[in-house]
Amino acid sequence: MSRPGPPMAAEPGPSPAPVERTLDRLVSAASWIWLLLVGVIVAGVGLRTFFAISRIELEELQWHLYAVGFLVGILGCVLHDRHVRVDVFREGMSQRRRDWVDLYGLLLLQLPFIALVLWSGIPLVAESFASGERSGSAGGLSHRWLLKSALPIVFALLLLASLARTRAIARRLFAPPVADAAAASDADEASATPTADPAPGEPPDAAG
Amino acid sequence: MSPREWLAVLMFGAFILGILTGFPVAWVLGGSALVFTAIALLLERDFGVETGIDWAYTSLVGDRIFDLMDNWVLVALPMFVLMGLLLDRSGIAAELLREVSRLFGRVRGGLAVSIALIGVLLAASTGIIGASVVMLALLGLPPMKRAGYAATYATGTVCAIGTLGILIPPSIMLVLMADRLAISVGDLYLGAILPGLLLAALYIAYLLALPALRPTIAPASSRPEIVDLELILAVFRKVVPTALLIFAVLGSSFFGIATPTEASGVGAAGALLLAASRRRLTVPILREVLRETTLTTGYLFGIFVGATAFALVLRGLGGDELIARGLSGLPFGPNGVVLSILFATFLLGFVLDWIEITFIVLPLVAPVVVSLGFDLVWFTVLFAVCLQTSFLTPPVGFALFYAKGVAPDVDVRTLYVGILPFVALQLVALTLIFLWPELATELPARAYGR
Repeated sequence: MSRPGPPMAAEPGPSPAPVERTLDRLVSAASWIWLLLVGVIVAGVGLRTFFAISRIELEELQWHLYAVGFLVGILGCVLHDRHVRVDVFREGMSQRRRDWVDLYGLLLLQLPFIALVLWSGIPLVAESFASGERSGSAGGLSHRWLLKSALPIVFALLLLASLARTRAIARRLFAPPVADAAAASDADEASATPTADPAPGEPPDAAG
Repeated sequence: MSPREWLAVLMFGAFILGILTGFPVAWVLGGSALVFTAIALLLERDFGVETGIDWAYTSLVGDRIFDLMDNWVLVALPMFVLMGLLLDRSGIAAELLREVSRLFGRVRGGLAVSIALIGVLLAASTGIIGASVVMLALLGLPPMKRAGYAATYATGTVCAIGTLGILIPPSIMLVLMADRLAISVGDLYLGAILPGLLLAALYIAYLLALPALRPTIAPASSRPEIVDLELILAVFRKVVPTALLIFAVLGSSFFGIATPTEASGVGAAGALLLAASRRRLTVPILREVLRETTLTTGYLFGIFVGATAFALVLRGLGGDELIARGLSGLPFGPNGVVLSILFATFLLGFVLDWIEITFIVLPLVAPVVVSLGFDLVWFTVLFAVCLQTSFLTPPVGFALFYAKGVAPDVDVRTLYVGILPFVALQLVALTLIFLWPELATELPARAYGR
């Protein structure tokens, strides 16, 4: 019942904020990391098979690249609403109700969790930097703090993306239907399932 | 039960309710870790309840995510995804399906068998049941419909194969399970081969037997090509490079020549070469495939990160002791305990995908099973097949839900009728693996001369 969204990339909301567009370009650019990773793995296998050379650096470089890749992926899924949802009940909900679920989820679960990861991650990076932490294996990579800093950096961007999303949803829920916004939402509703027309100043709990 | 254990049970219940709202699973997991830490702290401060966790404990989340980041085994996951996506988006998969089904022109149900053979390979590109069923439905339903196959038969095939693909190597699920249980991926792959082949054989036998008994279900091609040496050679020329790639990737990790990580990287490189050699590797396709790899990896790892936090807090509240005590208190023998775990897993599979179950439930029950003297590879394979059955079982199996999503013209009854025989086959396989553990333990034992 959980689903990763449509198989092809769904575009972020009707009008992504500039910050979302910038972050999305970052996600696209970072995706080339997988090609690099393929190269590093093949190089490692080649050296080992044909020259009997085992380079621990190459092996460690692999998970350095992979770690950055999956963190950026988590960011991309927030931008494109691709995180897995269980949508048995969501399917039958009006757009407005879905927005309420997302608003509460963002405020009570998603944003606090991202904050927790930042709060617990930043001191670890600082500690790693201060102690000059390096790989435990001989010949491994130094500057471990560089890898570790990817976590707070990407999660800070994740915070930004989640805030942008919260703002967009709150706007949809609370915006007074001014002339052109109302026209746009009318057009939306003509094609989608009919939802209760948000009256101006409607109390927030009416739909939630 | 102590108050903190009640809190653990409540946390699990809250999580299930949370994901049913439709909010992303990853954040429900991570968020409930946080919320329940806060509740535990309040109970401890204001009511003097001993809960055993505090912020310092929950902030171990940072360390746990670093553990995911320097995990060399899991590097294989995005590489398998990349390989599968390359085969899919470059059109190689569809071409394979076309070519293989030419060989089966005269055979009733031949197209379904072709889909079974190819679908199992492609499932690696998605990692979760929902997505692999969707992909197979998009790839396989239209040609089966054109060929005049009955809707029950066609949808049943797509659901069952999409689910089987998650189990059969290159399996993202097995890599993650091995990683979480600290057993070798090679061992688990080897352990899953015979059960996987057994299931595949049962499926294919059914796919061929049913149309033989009731020809209208899956008519043979109206204009079958004559299967002579020339056709076979023509098909082989097209199929062999891809087949070689797959076997090289799987073979090398089965037999310990390469680690799964190396095998996955080489497999991705091979898929790149294949696509390039057919002039399908244009820059726009490559860009899209890489981006899609990032996003697919993103939703998988989003759940990993959330589930890590969730499992941490659940353990802190004594969830593991609770499970261990509960299981050892069951009034059955060791076999009864395993069966109870499997039944509970079956029920959990109705609401949770395999990732959450692997992160949260598997590490809780595995030590109990080991302490009862069972083989962990055997149990994990059994566990995986049981989950698979759960995903197929009406009325709530994941696979059905997704098939319905992409084939809205198929009514629910048709789906159920189509899938029930596969559920029966799953139960047969499950019983066989349970009764003959050698199915799962023999190959790993032989490979390592134990």
